[in-house]
Amino acid sequence: MFKKIKSRWGAAALMLLAAAGTSLYAQGFGGRGRGGPPRPPREAAPIDITGYWVSVVTEDWRFRMVTAPKGDFAGVPLNPAGRKLAGEWDAAKDQASSDHCKAYGAPAIMREPGRFHITWVDDNTLKLEADHGEQTRTFHFGGAVPAGTKPSMQGYSIAIWQPASGGRAGRGGQGQPGAAAQRGGSLKVVTTNLTPGYLRRNGVPYSDRTTVTEYYDLLRESDGAQWLIVKTIVEDPQYLTEPFITSTNLKKEADGAKWQPTPCEVR
Amino acid sequence: MYRFRFLLLAALAAAPVPAQIELSGVWQNKLHEDFPDRLAGPEIGDYTGIPLNAASRFRAEAWDASLITLPEYQCRVHPSDYANSFADIRIWEEYDKDTQNLIAIHIHHFAWGTERTIWMDGRPHPPDYAAHTSMGFSTGKWDGDILTVTTDHLKEGWIRRNGVPRSDRAVVTEHFIRHDNGLTWVVIIHDPTYLTEDMIRSRDYVWSLAGQIAPYPCESVEEVIRPKGVIPHHLPGTNQFLKEYQKNHGVLEEGAMGGAETLYPEFRKKVIAAGDLGGKAPGPLQ
Amino acid sequence: MIKRNWLWMAAAAVAGVSGLAVQMAAQSRPQQPDFSKVEIHTLQLRDNVYMLVGAGGNITVQVGKDGVLMVDTEYAPLSDKILAAIRKLSNAPLRYIIDTHYHGDHTGGNENLRKAGSTIAGGNVAGDLGAEASEGAQIVAHNNVLLRLSMPNGNQPAAPQGGWPTDTYLSDKKKMWFNGEGIELIHPEHAHTDGDSIVYFKRNDVIATGDIFTMTSYPIIDINGGGSYQGLIDAVNHIIDLTDTVYGQDGGTVIVPGHGRLCDTGDLLNYREMITIIRDRIVDMIQKGMTLEQVKDAHPTFDYDPLFGNPGGFWNTDTFVEAAYKSLSQTVKKK
Repeated sequence: MFKKIKSRWGAAALMLLAAAGTSLYAQGFGGRGRGGPPRPPREAAPIDITGYWVSVVTEDWRFRMVTAPKGDFAGVPLNPAGRKLAGEWDAAKDQASSDHCKAYGAPAIMREPGRFHITWVDDNTLKLEADHGEQTRTFHFGGAVPAGTKPSMQGYSIAIWQPASGGRAGRGGQGQPGAAAQRGGSLKVVTTNLTPGYLRRNGVPYSDRTTVTEYYDLLRESDGAQWLIVKTIVEDPQYLTEPFITSTNLKKEADGAKWQPTPCEVR
Repeated sequence: MYRFRFLLLAALAAAPVPAQIELSGVWQNKLHEDFPDRLAGPEIGDYTGIPLNAASRFRAEAWDASLITLPEYQCRVHPSDYANSFADIRIWEEYDKDTQNLIAIHIHHFAWGTERTIWMDGRPHPPDYAAHTSMGFSTGKWDGDILTVTTDHLKEGWIRRNGVPRSDRAVVTEHFIRHDNGLTWVVIIHDPTYLTEDMIRSRDYVWSLAGQIAPYPCESVEEVIRPKGVIPHHLPGTNQFLKEYQKNHGVLEEGAMGGAETLYPEFRKKVIAAGDLGGKAPGPLQ
Repeated sequence: MIKRNWLWMAAAAVAGVSGLAVQMAAQSRPQQPDFSKVEIHTLQLRDNVYMLVGAGGNITVQVGKDGVLMVDTEYAPLSDKILAAIRKLSNAPLRYIIDTHYHGDHTGGNENLRKAGSTIAGGNVAGDLGAEASEGAQIVAHNNVLLRLSMPNGNQPAAPQGGWPTDTYLSDKKKMWFNGEGIELIHPEHAHTDGDSIVYFKRNDVIATGDIFTMTSYPIIDINGGGSYQGLIDAVNHIIDLTDTVYGQDGGTVIVPGHGRLCDTGDLLNYREMITIIRDRIVDMIQKGMTLEQVKDAHPTFDYDPLFGNPGGFWNTDTFVEAAYKSLSQTVKKK
């Protein structure tokens, strides 16, 4: 081949193209073959996050497992308006109302001490159910928020897979779901269209201007344990001085034997 | 001519595998989770969220904060598995000059200016009889874009800096996960000596544009005049501060004392069944 | 003549008080392993100082143009393997063996290794022991080690004569110079035994502690061998006074414990914390008038048992508490 390429620039260009093609192929673009249609999200999933997951509350225990007293919002970067509202929390009033689920919206639900069940609704939609608070979140792959979507407690979530950039090293060993998954990656979910609610059960507020960005990462330990690390970034220009960042640790369970739906609680 | 092209092709083919994702830079620790115990420091008798066993609890209950007034303890550094509790870090990579293969990733921590090395070159861990250090011996590998680190040869340390111990027999697994300008540092502590199950914590950082970490010189001084050889501690059953945390924050005793049972959703059901829903005691305003 | 009589009179006095010493020596030895399966591992500590790890007590070896010096000798069946490990470090003659104390897991190889070495005979007892002692390496130890190793048990001494120290000291310190380095033997009163030597390699900043400091069990207080709990704590504090750290509690002085992994000041501080806290608990119980059984039932070591406790074996949690109680009861009374 090289004998036929008389120009050194041509040889260099050929080598560069070969390298680029290898890189693009490794990232999984190009579908089933070069130039094929993109695979549906379920098939293209670089990680498998379906199944039952349980909260292991080793962090923020006194804000999550029990309800902190009014005015105790340590760690939440509230601005003065947010502090004022948090200081006005009235648990009795919330209890008397019909809405006990203010702390179970998308910005906060993953922090609840409960179990989560993640399944595919169809090739383009993931469902995340929470037993504590009996909530359901829907992650839509692709597209935008449909016009006319009403704000809700769980908002509207748009999901996208983020395959690992390196493309070569992946987890080896047994039980890998597929070649794509072996490269690794994350799920990114952006949620908007939210109604106001609480970041914590003791009335720490978020507004309807909130955007929640989440990253779901799967960890497989050498003893077989699987962890789903859910990083939640809450941005609320109305009540927060900066993004509120938490990372929640969920442990994989073999099945739903301990799944126990319970209604929302004010405290 | 052809030799030149061949050499160029060979060089490209032999190009080293770079880090899967770039972690270098200064990262600012966000204290949005566990803020009170991470910055100001945990209160005596707060063992919430820790799957500690009875021996660990017994030891924690004996702990006296005066211990760290001893000159030999004043500059004792936080062990590497506790480092992500607070303060900023700097991460940088070390490459072999000739091969450009990654040799190690280093982390500098603000507190006491500690530095640790995560060996990325496949070297084995030292034998059991080798020395232990506060940073331990760490090796790392890439799992996709996640840096997974295994650390052993740690000196005795702590799960929480109010006396909850972590033994020198622990093995710690860490995962460094980067998304955009955010870093999540997950630490999983395997310590059957003092824990009934693995303890996981995940802390978040944001990349710091300013990229500055202050120095942290430490010098021991005589803080408390006491007879030589005295080790501050509480005799069993005499620690009168143990219930203050529960009282101040309206936390039931069983929860404050920790244990694996208190980490799972079933415990909340127990709390509700006991009618101890919290939210009753007046709390401090920030 | 006077000197010889003095030494044997002292020996008789000690024998009268501690005729159980021989029994303790036997009891002090942990159950011996299958030596055929034991490997000797070498860990370099400094340029010319190493730690050898096998089945018995840790060995510290210093090599150089003057020859080889070793601290402790483990068990006799391991002598060939130990010598082979030393020969990988140096072919120079083995000149000195230092015994940190008299127990068999630290002195069992004395005779074999002494014979493998060579030195110019001397020392204050070599002449008394005959021509045999003038060949081979010198064995240096506190005089109480000689007394205990040479203690008659019926018609037999506690240890072979060829393994007895040939150069002893009676004060609190002995200084040596070897391979360009000052080596100080420091004798703490009534610590692990009454014949302990802490060996301090000054230039290399390495300290071999013998069983004053061990990472594999609660401290062994050989009461019948002249040890005491408070004496052991005092010895640990003395070692801490000698050490330096690079920063915080890491680095600096290298400490070779009697058993277990290589250590430094931070490890010794943790050990001191443990033995001091347990002492305080038992003292408090003695002052309250608690009996030994009551003290055991109170589990004063509960939080450290996962690290240092042994349910069985020659030195277990119970035997430690018993020894601690007996030792501390000699000076602490009920309030």
